[in-house]
Amino acid sequence: MSNPCMRCHTVLDEGDLRCAVCALPVPVIEHKHYRTVYPEVLRCTECAAAITFVPAARAPCCAFCGATMAIEQPHDPIERAERRVPFGVSRTTAEAVLRGWFATRGWFVPRALRTEAVTESLAPIYWSAWFVTAQATVAWAADSDHDARRSAWAPHSGETTLRFDSLCIPASRGLTHDECAYLAPSYDLSQQLPIGDELPEDGVVEAFEAQRSAARAAIQAALDAQAAARVRSHIPGTRIRNLHVASMLESQLTDRLALPAWIVTYRYRDRRYRAIVHGQRPDVVVGKTPLDVWQVLAALAVVAVVLAVLVLLSTGA
Amino acid sequence: MSAPAQLACGQCGAALAFVGVRTATCPYCGSSSFLPRTPADERPDPRFAVAFASDAKVARQEVMRWLGARRLFTDRTLRTAQVEDLRGVYVPAYLYSAVARTTYTVQIGERYTETVDVPIGSRPGTEPSDVMPLPWPGKRRRKPKPGPATEQRVVTRTEYRALRGRHFTYVTDVLVSASGGLARHELARLQPYDYRQLRRFSPALVAGFVQEDYSLAASAVEQASRAAAAEQVASKLRRFLPGDSYSDLEIRTQTQWESLDPVLVPVWILGVRYRADRPPLRVLVNGQTNVVVGRPPLVWWKVLVALGLVAGLALLTWRVLS
Repeated sequence: MSNPCMRCHTVLDEGDLRCAVCALPVPVIEHKHYRTVYPEVLRCTECAAAITFVPAARAPCCAFCGATMAIEQPHDPIERAERRVPFGVSRTTAEAVLRGWFATRGWFVPRALRTEAVTESLAPIYWSAWFVTAQATVAWAADSDHDARRSAWAPHSGETTLRFDSLCIPASRGLTHDECAYLAPSYDLSQQLPIGDELPEDGVVEAFEAQRSAARAAIQAALDAQAAARVRSHIPGTRIRNLHVASMLESQLTDRLALPAWIVTYRYRDRRYRAIVHGQRPDVVVGKTPLDVWQVLAALAVVAVVLAVLVLLSTGA
Repeated sequence: MSAPAQLACGQCGAALAFVGVRTATCPYCGSSSFLPRTPADERPDPRFAVAFASDAKVARQEVMRWLGARRLFTDRTLRTAQVEDLRGVYVPAYLYSAVARTTYTVQIGERYTETVDVPIGSRPGTEPSDVMPLPWPGKRRRKPKPGPATEQRVVTRTEYRALRGRHFTYVTDVLVSASGGLARHELARLQPYDYRQLRRFSPALVAGFVQEDYSLAASAVEQASRAAAAEQVASKLRRFLPGDSYSDLEIRTQTQWESLDPVLVPVWILGVRYRADRPPLRVLVNGQTNVVVGRPPLVWWKVLVALGLVAGLALLTWRVLS
């Protein structure tokens, strides 16, 4: 980790040329830990001669002496988790809580699900997420029904300061955004273990599958969306439209964490479903369950009958 | 690596440095007249560079496709024109960034609908104005005079409300040309560049390409950079405003923490010979995204014929409607 950006105090990552938030160039400082040597530019290894760049060739040769050359790649590494939150739920517990979870799924779930569902796989996985801490000065503008005159809408504007404390931004491709949002608040982030070169044996660590530049765009978009959601409480009126926010982030610190979860695949009457058991809290389960079509139709029929009776009564009155 | 040859074009004045390149002509104007040049103290060294991502063959193909697409008002010979000269040039520019705090005042238009009485058969759009004068307090509104039979019509009107507020943003990636051979508006049309591919400058990076030296010091482009930044802020602010429309937008932007960094950007410069009696057409290609920029010569008689046709059609339509 290097010195923070002088303009917005965002913590810079190793290899950054400019701040990811405000684009202020990073001064060239000889750090001891900046020992990583990235490939130099497209150049002949024999004579260092002038070369015409041929990207299609991929491994080009020098036009003068025919020797191989090295191509410099911009330093835009794939993101990877730096720390992990350990598992606190065992395999046996995960399998057991799934049966209990079926019972809590409501009326429309088939009653036979608890007995007939067959667990096909139960896999421990560490899913990836960014945890962002930042401060933002946010200006907002929106229409609301407060102080409306002839039109139903009136414009309003304002500004506020927001703080994002360990805001979880999912980077998982395997889990949906809703699943991640359901699981994330229940993790105890005080228990963190470093991930070194050797990956943990108790679960597969999901790759971020995003390069640093793409990751930053995703984080920025998530922070903007979060800022827009949070300034809603500052806007007068009950109805809001055309809400726009302009946020200026400061002191951004991004942690890349791997979070534990049990991925359960089960089969019920020739169809496959997936559920996720929280890796630390066995009472937190999210996933899909089958619907009992007859029970749904019966409920609809009851609603229809009730409505019909009400209509008849009101017509008669 | 040998020191670059410091030369200035005798015709257009572009300051050029050649590292490992054998060249006989200026990439901008094709002139073969070069003058020796001593490096100026106030001219900065590049700090960053965006590397070429496409090769000359791709650039040539893009230009040929671009020429083929110019048909309606351009010279037909462009379709069969030949690329005469093609050079990859690292063009000097400055990358500006700053913190922008803006205060704005604006009239926000909010639409609403109203039912009004209009004479039967009146044309849409001839309804009474949406600015209805209100009577003085204590005075009674005059009764309307009996007129022709009316009908009710729903019209959409706009109510303007004053709004004042602030806007905060980081202005980033404002690129301003510091080239003697490439005008600011030409570089503006070649943008955007993907600055995620930015690299720290080293002479080896530009080896094999012509590198133009800085013709303008940072102080000379400060005003232009701020103007471009103000335009970027204004563009963001226009999208930021609520309502259905707006008018009388007044913006006051204060910039802080300004940074102006010398950067080289890749441009393919091509000379296209389409007629023997005309000078070659200069075409520019973004060396990273292959965006083609040029001003193909117009054939004026074609433009005049088209204008005449449009005027004739408009006249005919007006006569029929009236």
